Amino acid sequence: MTGSSVAKQLVDAIIANLPEPAPGLRPVHTMGVGVDGYFMASDVARNYCIAEHFRGHRVEVSVRFSNGFGGPKQHDGWSDVRGMATRFHLQGGVKDGPATDLIATTLGEFFARNVEDFFEFTKIARQHPVQRESPWRKILDMLQLKEPVRDPYPKETTNTDAGALSYANRYRFAQLAVFEAAQIGAPVSYTRATYHAIHTFMVEDPHGVRRPVRFSWQPVAGVRTTDPTATPVDKYLRHELEERLRRWPARFMLMMTIGEAGDALDDPTKPWSARRVRVVMGTLTLTNLAKDQVADGERISFNPWRLVPGIEPSGDPILHARRCAYEVSREMRGGCPFIRSQADAK
Amino acid sequence: MPSDESWLDRFVSGLPETRVFQRLASWLLVPYWAWRTPVKPLPGGPHPSIQPGDNIQCMMNLIMPLKDKSPIGRAKAALAIAQNKDAIYAGLDNVGTVHFARFVIVGDNICMFSVYDGDFTNYIRDFIATIGGVFNAVVKLVEGGDAVTPCEHNVEAFIQWVHERDLYQVPDTATDLLRDQEALNGDKASFGHDDLRLLPRKVVLQLRANANVSLGSGYRAYPGFSAAQVRNQLGIGW
Repeated sequence: MTGSSVAKQLVDAIIANLPEPAPGLRPVHTMGVGVDGYFMASDVARNYCIAEHFRGHRVEVSVRFSNGFGGPKQHDGWSDVRGMATRFHLQGGVKDGPATDLIATTLGEFFARNVEDFFEFTKIARQHPVQRESPWRKILDMLQLKEPVRDPYPKETTNTDAGALSYANRYRFAQLAVFEAAQIGAPVSYTRATYHAIHTFMVEDPHGVRRPVRFSWQPVAGVRTTDPTATPVDKYLRHELEERLRRWPARFMLMMTIGEAGDALDDPTKPWSARRVRVVMGTLTLTNLAKDQVADGERISFNPWRLVPGIEPSGDPILHARRCAYEVSREMRGGCPFIRSQADAK
Repeated sequence: MPSDESWLDRFVSGLPETRVFQRLASWLLVPYWAWRTPVKPLPGGPHPSIQPGDNIQCMMNLIMPLKDKSPIGRAKAALAIAQNKDAIYAGLDNVGTVHFARFVIVGDNICMFSVYDGDFTNYIRDFIATIGGVFNAVVKLVEGGDAVTPCEHNVEAFIQWVHERDLYQVPDTATDLLRDQEALNGDKASFGHDDLRLLPRKVVLQLRANANVSLGSGYRAYPGFSAAQVRNQLGIGW
């Protein structure tokens, strides 16, 4: 378990590397939007997990979509990891009552295996001033059949690309996440991206069998990104979502992949084989933007450890670090406290 | 994209799409880098694994150049398959580990694509035992096939011959291609002095060495289940 002092250092390390810190807001995934909806478990979900939200009745949910960048500037059209944090309101669906969270991003893997890796990453992947690569340098890259350095976006003066690349070049475990993050693009809609809860959890079935699993949300509308060669638009995702939900609900399927012996259970940098059994656990239906965006878009505080009987955390050190780090971050911005159980809620 | 681009920036950014640069790349740059930084062709077939899920729904992708590169040669190949329909079904039902098998003619090649459960050598060995005659009918039409037919008398040589023609399966994740190349070169380090920006060159050079490849490990609707499990669950027996 990562202590609160380490968690504070983790949050401080993130804040120290922001281009423009935003006191009172989330240090990363700062810009977001809250959405209301409900989740219906599939017929087979209860065979794999006894958790309350997989029993088959309608469960009210609050979802927060976000851009990964930290800071108050909104750049929807920039290539960036997006977040989808989902709260399942249990036992009657009261918003401040017992709940469980599922936190996911569009990145399929993480770039650090543990807290030590993460600290080193924050040291190497610092914000650096960026400028357009000279045409001659680009030609030299082309002659070497080398991936060109991305042109900075309009108004982009610093980024962490060079540092992240340097880290990945040194540590092979980080290469997949860094490479995928560099290629990730911008979704045309928050509802047109796949979101992965990168950590392994242990789920328990009605017979007491425990299985290692990883969850992901797959958009029913399909995956689509914007044209990377077009000038990016800074603000469109919230309006697009509002307009979309005004016309028709948006849906996601919750897929659960079951790991096998030998799969990386405690290492979020390692993907599992696509050959693992995938189970449809249910359908999320998003109906409207939350009316109170301060409460449901900003103050709402998620935590990957807000779990219910039937789902347990794995030994993943990053997952363990996130528990306290999310709480430290919440306290710093005055978000809603971490309630894990019904007893806590009372 | 950004508005501060000069005409030179725009010109250089568009260079890779120009015919001149593409010809320069294919005629000069790729051969040069293949000479400067040679890569070994990665071996075909599924990656070895002891995990059960990795040994179910394995792919075999054979591309076999026909000896007779004419419509008559292609027709002979088509006929060889059509004449052996009953033998193929009998083999499938008896072996019991095949999800599907397809024969496709592309250009002057006859291709066999199949998805099977279990070990590759056992898969081929089983088929030699049950439908060796079909293999013989097809392989005798293929370049280099005479050396391994009749397959019933050349079992090990035939298995090796098929394995050598099984396509390399490019991993699902881009950076795993690097891991495959490192493993082939005996490099198993977790740390290195890599240059991730050279990934495009490494992909290009591997595709130069391995012109035909399978992209990804296959996209499955029901991963993790064997043909026998599916048939059993559907109540259609075996």
